[in-house]
Amino acid sequence: MAENYFNSLSLREQLEQLGKCRFMHLNEFDDGVNALKGKKMVVIGCGAQGLNQGLNLRDSGLDVSYALRQAAIDEKRQSWKNASENGFTVGTYEDLIPTADVVLNLTPDKQHTAVVNAVMPLMKKGACLSYSHGFNIVEEGMKVRDDLTVIMVAPKCPGTEVRAEYVRGFGVPTLIAVHDDNDPNGEGLALAKAYAVGTGGHKAGVLMSSFIAEVKSDLMGEQTILCGMLQTGSLLCFDKMIEEGIDPGYASKLIQYGWETTTEALKYGGVTNMMDRLSNPAKIKAFELAEEMKDIMRPLYNKHQDDIMTGKFSQTMMADWANDDKELLGWRADTAETAFEKTPAGDVEISEQEYFDNGILMVAMVKAGVELAFETMTSAGIIADSAYYESLHETPLIANTIARKKLFEMNSTISDTAEYGCYLYNHACVPLLGDFMKGIKSDVIGAGLQLNDMTVDNARLIEVNEAIRNHPVEEIGGTLRGYMSDMKRIV
Amino acid sequence: MAITLKNLTVDFDNRFQCKKINWTINAGEHWLITGSNGSGKSALAAILAGYGDIEAGVITNAPEKVGLVSFEAQAELIAAERRKDDADIMDVIAEGTPVHEIIDAVATDRHTADKLIEKLGLTPLLNRAFRKLSTGETRKVMLIRALSCNPGLLILDEPFEGLDVDSLSALQAHLTEVAGNTQVLMILNRLDQCPDYITHVAYMHNGELQQTVDRTDNDAYDALMQLLHLKTTELSIPPADPDFTLPPLNAEQPLVKLTNAAVRYDEAVIFENLNWTINAGNHWQLTGPNGSGKTALLSLITGDHPQCYVNDIDVFGFKRGSGESIWQIKQFIGYVSTALQWEYTVGTSLRNVIISGFYDSIGLYSKYTDNQRNIADQWLQVLGMADRSSDTFTSQSYGDQRLLLIARAMVKHPPLLILDEPCLGLDDMNRQRVLALIEIICARSTTTVLYVNHHAEDKIAGIDNYLAL
Repeated sequence: MAENYFNSLSLREQLEQLGKCRFMHLNEFDDGVNALKGKKMVVIGCGAQGLNQGLNLRDSGLDVSYALRQAAIDEKRQSWKNASENGFTVGTYEDLIPTADVVLNLTPDKQHTAVVNAVMPLMKKGACLSYSHGFNIVEEGMKVRDDLTVIMVAPKCPGTEVRAEYVRGFGVPTLIAVHDDNDPNGEGLALAKAYAVGTGGHKAGVLMSSFIAEVKSDLMGEQTILCGMLQTGSLLCFDKMIEEGIDPGYASKLIQYGWETTTEALKYGGVTNMMDRLSNPAKIKAFELAEEMKDIMRPLYNKHQDDIMTGKFSQTMMADWANDDKELLGWRADTAETAFEKTPAGDVEISEQEYFDNGILMVAMVKAGVELAFETMTSAGIIADSAYYESLHETPLIANTIARKKLFEMNSTISDTAEYGCYLYNHACVPLLGDFMKGIKSDVIGAGLQLNDMTVDNARLIEVNEAIRNHPVEEIGGTLRGYMSDMKRIV
Repeated sequence: MAITLKNLTVDFDNRFQCKKINWTINAGEHWLITGSNGSGKSALAAILAGYGDIEAGVITNAPEKVGLVSFEAQAELIAAERRKDDADIMDVIAEGTPVHEIIDAVATDRHTADKLIEKLGLTPLLNRAFRKLSTGETRKVMLIRALSCNPGLLILDEPFEGLDVDSLSALQAHLTEVAGNTQVLMILNRLDQCPDYITHVAYMHNGELQQTVDRTDNDAYDALMQLLHLKTTELSIPPADPDFTLPPLNAEQPLVKLTNAAVRYDEAVIFENLNWTINAGNHWQLTGPNGSGKTALLSLITGDHPQCYVNDIDVFGFKRGSGESIWQIKQFIGYVSTALQWEYTVGTSLRNVIISGFYDSIGLYSKYTDNQRNIADQWLQVLGMADRSSDTFTSQSYGDQRLLLIARAMVKHPPLLILDEPCLGLDDMNRQRVLALIEIICARSTTTVLYVNHHAEDKIAGIDNYLAL
C-alpha cells in the first residue's frame, strides 16, 4: 500500500490544504461547458452517480460514453444495461480509454486503486482523470502519472438527486478541487468548472476546495452527525419509547419520518429554525438535553476526527476491505436485526408539528450532532464553509433516506466508507449515552411535554435563544444559505 | 317530494333541445342553474314551468304551481297585451289592462302582493296600463305576480337584472324570507349575486346537464366557478414577453422531423420505423392505446427520453446529439403532462409556477423581470386565480394545478405546445375547464399544438392532423 498522502505533507502544507474552501460566484461559470466542448468524456462506473452524471453531461451538449469491463459487457450486467438502454456508447477500457480526453472515475472508493491502475496506462498523454471523492488520492496515496491532470467534482447529493435537480432546471451543491501535484497544464480548474456546469451544479452553488479538505471533512461528517448520529438516535429513541409503553408502530413511524421532518426545518433556517419549531418550554428542554449530550459525546467526536486526520480510520477500514468486508457485512446484518428496523411504521396519522412536539429528544440529538461535528471539524483546521456542508447541509439528505426505508436504505445509499464509519460511531455512542438515556422519559420522546401552562422564564428563554443563534454554524449557515437564495432557488 | 327528471329530452320549437336530463330536486333544496350563453339554462328551468315538448323520458312530481320570472315570460305577457290591443276594432284609444288587474289575475296571496307593490315602488303605477310600463317596471310586475301566487316552486331567471338598487335589495330581502318555505330555482349570469340560501348548483352545457354540485362541497364549487369564468368571460391570451426572444427558426424547415425513429427497452420494441414531420401551424392529435409509446415519442421530441441521442431527430434546426444542450431544445417547447404535474412538487407560488415557464424549470431559480411578473399575473387573471397569486402551488386542487401548468407552458408563446393527455386524471368538470382553456389557446395564438389523448370526446376545435400509434 502506498503512503498516506496527507501524512506525507508538512504541517504547513496540511493546514493550507485543509483550509481551502471558497464559495464560488455564479459569474465564475460564465464560460459554461466550453472547456469540455468537443472533448471525449469516458465514464467508468455506471451506478447511480455514474449514470446520472453522464445523463446530465450529455444533456448539456457534451460527448459522454461508458467504459465497462469486458465481462460486464458480455454478461449484459446491470451497468451495461444502464448505459446502453440510455443510448450511450459502451465499450471496453481498451476501446474507449485511449480516446478519452477526460476519464470520470465514478466507482466506489474501494475499487479506486484497481480501476486507476487499470486505466492509467491506457490514458493518452495530457488527459484528465476526475474523481468524485478524494479518498484514493489522500488516504491511499495513489500516484497519478505526471502528465495527467487530476480533478475532483463531487455533487453533494445522491445520484438520483443529481439527475432530478438537473431536470428541474437546477442542480445540487457541488464541491470541486484540483490536485496540485497533478495539474501539468494548469487547466484543472477550467475543466472542473465546466464539469460542474455540465451537471448543473453551478446553479446550486460550487465550493472550491482541496482533495484533502474534502476527504477529511467528508469522512468526519458522514461518520458522526450524518449517518452515525441518526443511526444511534434511531435505535436509542425507539428502545426508549417501547420501554415507556409507546405503541411500537407509532414509535417506528415517529423516528422513520421524524428525522426527515425535523431536519427539513434545518435545511430552511438552520438549527435556529429547527428549534423555533418547538414550543418555548420544549425548546428550552431540547437545548438542555443537547448541551448535556454534547458534553458526553465530545470526546467521541474528537476521537473520530483524530483518527481521520492521522489516517488510522482509513487504515482500519482498508484492513477490512482486505478481509472481504467481514466487519462491514457483519455490522450491516446486525443493524437489520434491531427492534427499530424490524418494527414497521404504524398506520397512524402524525402531523408535521407533532414530529417536533413528540420528538424533542430527536431534535436535541440533531442539534448536538450538527454543532459538535462542526466544532470538531473547525478546531481541526477545516474551515467553516466545508464544515457547514459536511454537517448541517447534508443532514436532511441523509434523513430523507431513512424516511424511505429506515436504516437499511440509509446504509445502502451511502458509500461503504460512510457505512463503515457509521457503525464505528454507533458502537461507541450507544453505550456512551447509556446513563444519559436512563434519565429520559416519554415526555421528550414519544408523548410530548403535555403542559397546560406554557410559561417560561424570560431571562432563560433569551439566554437559550442567544446561545442557539450565536453558534458559529448558524453564522456561516446564514451566509451560505443567503448565497443560495441569491441564486433564486425558490423552494 | 322530490321532483325528478329522468332521461328527459325536451324540444323547444325545433330551435333548441335539452338532452337526456337526469336531475333530482329534493324538498328543501334551492338550486342555481349556471352555464354559458346558449347552454340551455333557461330552457331547463322552462321545462319545470311546463314549456317545451317532451320527446323522451319522464318528469315526476312536477310542481303544480310555478311562479316564473324570465325575459321570455315577460315578453310573452307583453305580446299578449299587445294582441289585446290589436284585437280592438273600436275606434277608441285603448289604454290596455291596468297594472293592478294584471297582478290581481294571479295574486292569491294578497298580503305579499301589497307588500311588494309598496316595496318595489309600484303603488303610483297601479292604474297605469301594463304595456306602457318601462322594461324595469314590467319586470317588477312579473316578480310580484310570481311571488304572490302561492307557488310550489319559484323559477327566477335573472331576477335581479335591470332592477334599481332599492328594489334589488328589497327583492333580495324578500326572497331570503320566502326561501324558508318555498323552493327556489334561480338562473344567474353574475355568480357574485348567488344568494346564501342556494344549496345546489347545476351546470348546463350544450343542452345537457353536465354538473350538479352540492354547495357544501367547497372544492367542487370552486372548480365550477373557475369553469364558468373560462366559459363566460371574453378572454384573450396574455402577450409574450417582448424582451424574451427565441433564436429565429428557419421558416422553410419543419419544427420537428423524426426519421425511422424507434424506442426499445431490452428486446422489447415500443415502436420503430416511425417517420413524422411537424410543420409550423399544423396542429396534431396523437392517439394510441396505453403502452403504444405516445409519451416515449413525445419525449424523443422534448429531449426527455435518453434514446433521443440514438435516433435521427431534427428539432428546431438542431440535429440531436450534435453538441446541443437540452435547454436549447426546450426553449422552443411548452409541455404539459400528468408526469410533469407529479414532478412539479415544488412549494412555490402560483405566480412563480407560471414564470418558471420562461425558464423551462420546475421551480424558479432565475431572477425574473417585472414584465414577466406582469404577464404571469395576466395569466392568473385568465385562469380566474388572480386573488391566489401568492398561494402555494402544491396546495391547489388537482384541476387548478393542471390549468396552471398549461398557462406555464404557454407563457412564453412557444413555437410548439405539447399537451400529453392534458385531461388525464381529471374529473368531468376539470376536463371541461382544461378543454376550454386549450380551445382559447388554439384559437388565439400562433403556437402549433400537439395534443395527445385517447378520449375521442375530448376533440379540440382547430386540430386536424392525426397520428395513431
